[in-house]
Amino acid sequence: MIITYEDIIIRTLTRVLAPFLQLYALYVIAHGHYSPGGGFQGGVILAASFILMVISFGLDMARRRLSEKVDIIFLCLGLLIYSGTGALCLALGGNFLDYRELTKILPVTIARARALGILFVETGVGFGVMAVMTSLVYDISTGGLPPERR
Amino acid sequence: MEVTVLIQATDEAFKIIEEARNRALDVLNTSVRFTAEAKVLEEKKVQDIFKGAERTKSEVLSFLATFALLFFPFWMPLSGFFDVFHLSIGVGCCALVAYISHDLLFVNVRVGDMRTIVKRFFAYIPWLLYQIYLASVHVIKIVLKPKMPINPRIIRFKTKLQTDISMVTFANSITLTPGTITVEIKDGEYYVHAIDEEVAYDLLYGGEMEDRVAHVYMEAEHVYVQDVLDVARIYGALR
Repeated sequence: MIITYEDIIIRTLTRVLAPFLQLYALYVIAHGHYSPGGGFQGGVILAASFILMVISFGLDMARRRLSEKVDIIFLCLGLLIYSGTGALCLALGGNFLDYRELTKILPVTIARARALGILFVETGVGFGVMAVMTSLVYDISTGGLPPERR
Repeated sequence: MEVTVLIQATDEAFKIIEEARNRALDVLNTSVRFTAEAKVLEEKKVQDIFKGAERTKSEVLSFLATFALLFFPFWMPLSGFFDVFHLSIGVGCCALVAYISHDLLFVNVRVGDMRTIVKRFFAYIPWLLYQIYLASVHVIKIVLKPKMPINPRIIRFKTKLQTDISMVTFANSITLTPGTITVEIKDGEYYVHAIDEEVAYDLLYGGEMEDRVAHVYMEAEHVYVQDVLDVARIYGALR
């Protein structure tokens, strides 16, 4: 169990920092094909904001924002987006994750289609990594017990 | 003979009158109770409407303020692309973050005060930099003396600040000035580590920094006219 210690400085600074941290994570995910970063790094930063809330405010406050059920949904959704993009390219007649085939259903050039495909895949990876990290911290801080036995 | 009958009759009559009076009182009492209950219920309904309206209003306002603060000064310089595609991604991301954590940034803040607080905060920063400069010179003098005339101590004092954000601003201002460090805040008391008496003099006897922080966050001089206006408008609409 994580025992919360009410420190007014840490709580207030968490409150101020958390939205900017989350937005920075989404920026890293969305601009992964132009600048350093990408899905994995953005997902870890996004999970770090929730972990910061768990540490400074306790588990309930973080769970109100991202419950365990929603967390599992995000995990499956990330995996689905990633493999779905690959399978779509496979279904359109190319190789797995061959984004050139996306020009058959999207009215864009081949280079733009590659950038869009990378963006979809990075979004999926980011969601998945965020959900896995957050659920790890939830499991550690609850001692691995299911919700009805705490 | 007639007298006893008369007395019995009057007794009966009195009993009947008594019963009638009791019944009438019962009816009156129940009716009064019902009206009182109805009044309380109505008042509760009005209060609920008022509270709900207030909550929705403050939630929408904090959502919009968080969105603006995230999108314009943070996302746009960070992104650097101003075509439709990237701007729409930015709007979506900012809306998502503002939806998740709109109740984090602005707590117990009146929208009317925000502009004044930001203005005064930016006016407070140069003074703080000047204080940091003075304290740095003092600490350099202490370091360069071969005798090392330090006298470390932990001082404790009660604060007059009330809100979380002003306490944190004051604590971090103390930590930023060289020679003093805020160890912790507990029940409105500050525990500050100081390197000698001179750097702790302002905290113990002057209190100028605390006064300035209280001035920035509009404590100890502010009258909330805004509340009265809000209440009047909502009650007028209900009537």
